[in-house]
Amino acid sequence: MTASRGPTRAAARDWTRRRTAKRERLEAVRPFVSGRVLDAGRMRDALHALLRPGDRVALEGDNQKQADFLAGALADCDPDVVHDLHLLISSISLREHLDVFERGVARRLDFAYAGPQSVRMAQLLADGTVDVGAIHTYVELYARMFVDLTPDVALLCAEQADHEGNLYTGPGTEDTPTIAEAAAFRGGVVLVQVNRLVDRVPRVDIPGDWVDLVVESPRPYALEPLFTRDPRHIGQVDILMAMLALRGIYERHGVTTLNHGIGYDTAAIELILPTYGERLGLRGKICRHWTLNPHPTLIPAIESGWVESVHCFGGEPGTERYVAARPDVFFTGPDGSLRSNRVLCQLAGQYAVDMFIGSSLQIDADANSSTVTEGRLTGFGGAPNMGHDPHGRRHASPAWLSLLTGEAPALRGRKLVVQITQTFRSGGTPAFVESLDAVQVAEDAGMPIPPIMIYGDDVSHVVTEEGVAYLHKATSLADRREALAAVAGATPIGSHMKERHVEALRRDGLVALPEDLGVDVRAAKRSLLAARSVEDLVAWSGGLYDPPARFRTW
Amino acid sequence: MTSPAPTGNGHTNGQTNGQTGWNAMLARVGFIELDARARAAALLDDGTARELCGPFDRIESPWLEPQDVVPASDDGVVVVRGRLDGRPAVVIAIEQAFQGGGIGEVSGVKIAASLSLAARDTREGAPTVAVLLLETGGVRLQEANLGLATVAEVCSALLELRALQPVVGVIAGSMGCFGGMSIAAGLCSTLIMTREGRLGLNGPQVIESEAGVAEFDASDPTLIWAIDGGAQRTGTGLADVLVLDDVAAVRSAVIEAAGRGAPGEHRSRRLRESRTRLDAVDPADPPEPADLAAVWARAVPAEGDRR
Repeated sequence: MTASRGPTRAAARDWTRRRTAKRERLEAVRPFVSGRVLDAGRMRDALHALLRPGDRVALEGDNQKQADFLAGALADCDPDVVHDLHLLISSISLREHLDVFERGVARRLDFAYAGPQSVRMAQLLADGTVDVGAIHTYVELYARMFVDLTPDVALLCAEQADHEGNLYTGPGTEDTPTIAEAAAFRGGVVLVQVNRLVDRVPRVDIPGDWVDLVVESPRPYALEPLFTRDPRHIGQVDILMAMLALRGIYERHGVTTLNHGIGYDTAAIELILPTYGERLGLRGKICRHWTLNPHPTLIPAIESGWVESVHCFGGEPGTERYVAARPDVFFTGPDGSLRSNRVLCQLAGQYAVDMFIGSSLQIDADANSSTVTEGRLTGFGGAPNMGHDPHGRRHASPAWLSLLTGEAPALRGRKLVVQITQTFRSGGTPAFVESLDAVQVAEDAGMPIPPIMIYGDDVSHVVTEEGVAYLHKATSLADRREALAAVAGATPIGSHMKERHVEALRRDGLVALPEDLGVDVRAAKRSLLAARSVEDLVAWSGGLYDPPARFRTW
Repeated sequence: MTSPAPTGNGHTNGQTNGQTGWNAMLARVGFIELDARARAAALLDDGTARELCGPFDRIESPWLEPQDVVPASDDGVVVVRGRLDGRPAVVIAIEQAFQGGGIGEVSGVKIAASLSLAARDTREGAPTVAVLLLETGGVRLQEANLGLATVAEVCSALLELRALQPVVGVIAGSMGCFGGMSIAAGLCSTLIMTREGRLGLNGPQVIESEAGVAEFDASDPTLIWAIDGGAQRTGTGLADVLVLDDVAAVRSAVIEAAGRGAPGEHRSRRLRESRTRLDAVDPADPPEPADLAAVWARAVPAEGDRR
């Protein structure tokens, strides 16, 4: 009796609803499709047919490349037909990303970063136009696409597609394979805008059977040269901090594997390797393996033999020919061009590099840092992914072991997480503050926790123009605060420090001033930069670097 | 997204051609990096530089403080006597970091008086070359008419001296040379530029705000340098020598120009040539910047007095 009932009850459940829905969606767009190719002129109708109210839609928007044609088409949808979408966007960069919410097409949002749209984002949140699920770090958002946020539809972008749907992303692979995988293998529809439809792609970055639909965009997707820093804007203070970091951290800990954030201070470090670093005899001893985008300011260090390998999150406009000509250093495909992958580079940055160094807008007395300031909801991006000590690491390296921590037998090394900043930002705003703006923003926006970028207990070193604070050496919270205050200059955090306290901290090795590190402050001149302009970078590259027009001042 | 590879056009005086080794890059000392005082010292023979009317003489503009601008003790112009490859010389350097190199009453008079004194010394048997380092947006707005008047004095003194001795102009960057002082640049016996230098009567932003973005898009660096940039200005004969941004290269170009003496006929005197060139361009259908040199070469075949 019971035996015959079992199968009947099981048959009542349909195990292929997502697959069926996908089949129905693809059937619905059939009038606008030939093979896998959608008619760009009927994009709006196609989206009306494809999407259902309440769908979870991943819209590719990274900090560099943007599926902008699809974003525009989505914003153009009729809210009577398509509404209450739940969008997953890693970087809210385009006006259209928020237009979608204002027009009522979408309602809920999970994202990682909202740089250029951060002011409007804060307003829409305050007005209740957007329901924010959570603000994530980059890989965290992608990770959730494989757990509880699997997309029903993924709207992506690539350089080229062939008629079988094979995709060529070129140097800017970034997140496309990851989002495609999350959708393609659990009943989601993958729709990709491409710059060009071709008979044969130069290399297959994403296989065609993951891709359901392609559309040739009327114009190439937008791509931001986010990692290009013009050496003209690097000042003497940046150079001084670069010298302090090089001697006080890179040399002292023997850092061979590392990641650099975006900023003039870290660009200065890249540019003094062939000059100051060379004089210190550090070539081959530090900075050999990197996880970072093809920063143009890294070209002199690469050319002068400092760099053995670079794995990239994404590409960088203008560096294509240079990267293709240096395949021993960069990861390149059989077609010659760069292969990047944000998630894998983040993974490498977490477990395989000894150091992360980056700057922040605000740091509090406990070294918590944040880029969220009043009226702006910027989110995090990838810095927290790199800027923490991953407890899943087990392989040792001299740099990692130099920060030995824990009690025997559970001894372990530690990643160097370095914050580098001038004590005051332009306009006289202190970088070191008593309370982060993020705390207030969290309260105003009703967030469960303040949006802190890098937690203070992960930070091992802080570099300012005053010196280096070795926070990892502090044995008490009070010592940590003192060490940080000693390099915080005349900010509210640093101004109370007494000279004799600083002397004691120097003696104990918690703080190093320029003279303790053998850094001659007078030598911090722009002449120390291996390249002083974008034109110099072009010359260093042997003419292989083609800077975007906005950086050309010749 | 990316712009085309830099072309080899207009590369002279050791300008890199894409094959420079990295050791050569490290050996270069940027001239653009230097402030006005350091630029002047870098050009003159070692140990010969002597500043006149320096900051400790405290000759400041009286017009800035009432307008809430902090004045400078040298009013943004550095005058240095010395020797240039053994030859008596005066280098007059405009400091771009102070008021964008804007010329006011005091700074303008410093330039004009220096040029006049060089002419006087020359007439009295001590031939003195002048070198003008022109990084200026033109007349300082805070001193409007007084600034304009001194620019006229500068031009008049320059004309006086250039009849006797070479007046060498250098526009290295990054400010460029615009406004009234671009007229002074046009009067120089020899005008030296880097690729980063710019020369124009009206700056891009002025043109855009007066005539609209369709006339000139001041946010487009490619357009700006295609028209005002050093490579274009030397390519079209509005400047004479294109140099690499390198102290040694700029100094040797200046020494060479000073040694060459005055041209047979100054550019500013070649009126018929200028008129023919203007006639060759239809303002309603202007040529592409890259084609301008060829258009003008067709209109005015190379003449004997062209160097």
